Amino acid sequence: MNMSTANSALRAEGVSVWFGERKVLEDVNLLFPNNKVTALIGPSGCGKSTFIRTLNRMHELIPGAGLAGSIYLDGEDIYGESVDAVNVRIKVGMVFQKPNPFPTMSIKDNILSGLRLSGRKIQNAEELVETSLRRASIWNEVKDRLNDQALSLSGGQQQRLCIARSLAMNPEVLLMDEPCSALDPGSTRRIEETIIELSQSMTIVIVTHNMQQAQRVSTQTAFFLAEDNTPGGVVEFGLTEQIFNGPVDQRTNDYVNGHFG
Amino acid sequence: MSSKQASAEVKRKLAAGPLSLADRFFFGTTTAAAYFAFVLVILILAFLLVQSFPIIQRQGFDFVLGNIWNPDQGIYQLGPMLWGSLLIAIFGIVIATPMAVALAYLIVFLLPKRPATIATTLVDLLAALPSVVIGLWGLFTFGPTAAGWAETLNKYLGFIPLFSVQSSENGFFRSPFIASWIVAVMIIPIITSVTREIFSQLDRDLVNGALALGGSRLSVFRRVIFPTSAGGVVGGVLLGLGRAIGETVAIFYVLNLSLDINWSNLLEPRGGAIASWILAKFGESSPEEKQALMAAGLVLFVVTLIINFLASFIVNRSQPWRKN
Amino acid sequence: MSESLQDSIKPWLRASKSLRPMILLVSIIPLPAVMISAYLLKIDPTMSFLTIFFPIQALGAAIIGYRAYGKRGIGDALLVVIVTFLSIFVMVMLLSVLWSVIFQGFQAMSFTFLSQNNVYVSTTTSLEYGGVGHAILGTLLVVAITTLLALPLGIAIAIYLTQSQSKVRGLVRTLTQAISGLPSVVAGLFILSVIAIDPLFQRSGLAGSLALFPLMLPTIARVAEEALKLVPVDLRYAALALGAPNYRVFFQVILPAAKSGLITALLLGLARVVGETAPLILTLNANNGTNWNPFEGGLATLPTYIYGYLGSNYTNSQSRAWGAALILLILVGILFGLARILSRSKSLKSKAKK
Repeated sequence: MNMSTANSALRAEGVSVWFGERKVLEDVNLLFPNNKVTALIGPSGCGKSTFIRTLNRMHELIPGAGLAGSIYLDGEDIYGESVDAVNVRIKVGMVFQKPNPFPTMSIKDNILSGLRLSGRKIQNAEELVETSLRRASIWNEVKDRLNDQALSLSGGQQQRLCIARSLAMNPEVLLMDEPCSALDPGSTRRIEETIIELSQSMTIVIVTHNMQQAQRVSTQTAFFLAEDNTPGGVVEFGLTEQIFNGPVDQRTNDYVNGHFG
Repeated sequence: MSSKQASAEVKRKLAAGPLSLADRFFFGTTTAAAYFAFVLVILILAFLLVQSFPIIQRQGFDFVLGNIWNPDQGIYQLGPMLWGSLLIAIFGIVIATPMAVALAYLIVFLLPKRPATIATTLVDLLAALPSVVIGLWGLFTFGPTAAGWAETLNKYLGFIPLFSVQSSENGFFRSPFIASWIVAVMIIPIITSVTREIFSQLDRDLVNGALALGGSRLSVFRRVIFPTSAGGVVGGVLLGLGRAIGETVAIFYVLNLSLDINWSNLLEPRGGAIASWILAKFGESSPEEKQALMAAGLVLFVVTLIINFLASFIVNRSQPWRKN
Repeated sequence: MSESLQDSIKPWLRASKSLRPMILLVSIIPLPAVMISAYLLKIDPTMSFLTIFFPIQALGAAIIGYRAYGKRGIGDALLVVIVTFLSIFVMVMLLSVLWSVIFQGFQAMSFTFLSQNNVYVSTTTSLEYGGVGHAILGTLLVVAITTLLALPLGIAIAIYLTQSQSKVRGLVRTLTQAISGLPSVVAGLFILSVIAIDPLFQRSGLAGSLALFPLMLPTIARVAEEALKLVPVDLRYAALALGAPNYRVFFQVILPAAKSGLITALLLGLARVVGETAPLILTLNANNGTNWNPFEGGLATLPTYIYGYLGSNYTNSQSRAWGAALILLILVGILFGLARILSRSKSLKSKAKK
C-alpha cells in the first residue's frame, strides 16, 4: 500500500506537545491515508488522546498548552498564523468518549446544531437530517421521533446521534476518541460497522485501547508509548496486519501480545 | 522512538484566543463587566473616603474611640455606637450559635428525610425574610416576651453585672438584650446553612468508621464531627457576625440609641449600633454631620470587609476540598 | 406486618420497645410541673419551660439512656434532648414570625388595601380607607430598574468567571464577594454622597435603584456562576468540536442548558433586594400618593412604608404596617418558592435521564 503524502491529506510532522512545562509527546510523525481508518493504540496515559486533540485544534483549549511541529491538512499547516481554528474544526470533526448530545435540543436540532453553531445557512434541513442519520446507521430507529429530546435515547443511540451530528458538517476527517468505551458490546458492534462504512467517504482516526477493535476496523495502526517520566511518542506505525502479526519493535510486540497493560 | 535530527524545536505557546470580531466583542464585554465589579468597589470606597476625609483627619483615632457626638461643636466620635454594634453582635452570636448548630445537627443526623427537607426549607425561608419584617415582629410580638425574660433575669440574676440595671423602673423594653435576640434570629439561618452543608459533606465513611469502632453518638460528635467541622462553623459564625454588625432596620425600633456608652449591661435601656445611628441621624443633619455619618459608614464597611474576608479565609482553609 | 414478625426481622428495635413507656412518662410529667410552678410561683411560662421543663426532661432522658446503654447512654440521651430542645426553640421563633405577620397582616387585608394609596389617610383613619397600592407600585418600579442593571452585568460577570482563563479571575471573584458584604445602609450612603456632589442627580426612585444595585449584583453573579458551572464541560467541547466560535457556543448551548439556574439567580437576587429598607430611606423621599415616575419625586415602597408606620402608637397605623409586611412576605415567599421549584425540577430531570 502506498503511504505517500499524495494519498494522505492529513499528516503530522515533528509534532511535540506540552502541558505547561511538561512535555508529553515527542516528535510524532504520522500519515493518515485518505478514506482509510487509522487506529492509535497504546497503554493509558501515553498521549494518544492528547495527540488526537491536536488534529482539530482542541488541544489549545487547555490552559498552558504548547505545541511544536506542523500538522498539514490539504497541504496547509493548520497551525499556521492565518488559520482560524474554527474553520479547522469544521473540516475535522470529533466524536468523544462519552456521548454528549445537547440536552436541551431534540434529535433533529442536534443534527442541525453544528451548522447553527458555525453560523452556516441550512439548506434542505430535512434531507440533511435524514442523510446524516442514515450514514450513522440510526435513521430507522429514530425516523418517527425526530422531535423527541435527544436524551431519551439509549447510550449507544446517543453516540450514533453524535456521529450523525458530526457528519452533518460533512467533514473531511472524523476523529474518534475511544467512541465505544462507554458502550455495551452490541452498540460497539454497530458503531464499528458504521465506522467501516463511513471510511469510504472520509478519513477516520480512532483512538482505542481495545486491540481487537483496532484490528477489526483499521487499516493502519500507530502504537504510542510513554516510558516513566519521559514524553510519549510513536514507537511503530504501519499496516494494522503488520503491527499485530509481525511487529518490528519489541515493545510493540510486548503490547499487542498483552505482556503489559 | 523514531529519532529525528536534533534541530531546535520551536515550541509555541498555544492559547485558544478569540479570533473573530464577534468573539472578541463577546469576551470584551464580559471582561468589562468583571472589571466593573472592581471599579465599583473602588468607587464606593473612594467616594466615602472623599466625603469623610475631613472629619477623620480632624478627629484621628478619636473618631472611633471617643464618645462625644456634638454637631454644634463639630465633634463626631463613634465610640458608643461602635461598641454597641459589637456588643449586640457578640451576644447575638452567643445566642445564635448553639441553636443554629443544634438545628443543623438535627437536620443532618437525626431527622428522617422528609422532616429534614421541610426544616431546611423553613430555615432558608427565614434567611430570606426582609429585616424590616423581623423588626416589626421584634417590636410588637417578641418585644414583650423578651422584656419579660429580661425582667426575670434581672430579678434572679441581677447580682451579675451583666444583668444588672440602674433602675428597674425604666422597663426592659429597649435594651441590647432584645436587640441581640433579634439579631440572633436573623443570623441563625446563615450559621445553620453553613453548618448543615459542612455536616452533610462530611465523609459518611468517617462517621460510620467511628461508630463501627464502638463510638456513641456523643463521642462521635465530639471526636469526629466537631473537630472536622469546627473551622467551617467558625467561618459561618463570622459570616453571621458580618451580617449582624450591619443590621439597621431590624433593631432600629427596639434600641434606645444613647451616647452614654453601655459597656456590658445587657438589660439597660441604652445601646448603640452604627448602622441604626446613621439612619437615625441622617434626617436633619448639617452637611458636616452628614460627612461624619459617611465616615461612620466607611468604618462599618471596612469592618464588615475584614470580617467577611476572615470568614472566607477560614471556611476555605478548613475545607481544602471545597473550591470557592 | 405483625408485631412478632417485625421483631424477628428487626431485632435491634427490641431494646427501645421496653423503654417506650418510660420515654412517654418523661415527656409528659414535666408539663403539669410547669403549669403548677407557673401558677404558684408566678413565673412567666416561657421562662419556666427553660428552667423547669427542660431540666426535668434532661434528667429523665439521662436516666433512660443509662438504663438502655449504660454510661455512654447518658451522654447520647442528653445530646439528643439538648439538640431537640434548641431546635424547637428556633422553630418556635420562626413560626412566631410567620404567624404574627400572617395573622396581624390579614386584618388589614382588603382589595382597597391592595390598590389604593394613602393620600387622604391619617394615622387614625380606619382601615377601610387607604392602602399600599402606591407602595407596591413603587417597589415594582425601583426593583425593575435595579434588575435591568444588575441582571445582565451579573450574568456577564458569571460568564467571565467561568469562561475566561485569566489570572485575574480570583481577584474578580473576591471583589464580587466583597461587595456582597456591603451593609445596606452604606450602599445608600454611597448614592447619597454621589447626589451630594452632583446637583443634577436627585433623591428619586432611580437613586433608590442605584442604591440597591450593589446589593443585587453579587447575589446574581454568585448564583449564576454556580448555574454555569453545573453545565457539563463536555457539552462545550462538543460544540467547539463542531466548529463554533465561543459566543455561539455560549448562546446556543451553554445558556439554554443553564436556563433554570439563571432564572434562579434572578429570583434570588429579587428576593434579596425587594425587602431592603435602609438604602431606600436614605435615597428616596416618602410619598403618600401614587407616583409612576421613578426619575422624579417621592416614591413609596413596601419596606419604607412599613418603616414609616412602625413607630406609630395607633393600632390602625400598626395594622397597616403589618398588612404591608404580609404583602412583602408573600412576595418574598413566591420568589423563594419559585426558585426552590426550579432547582428541584432541574435536579430531578438530570436524575431521571440515563
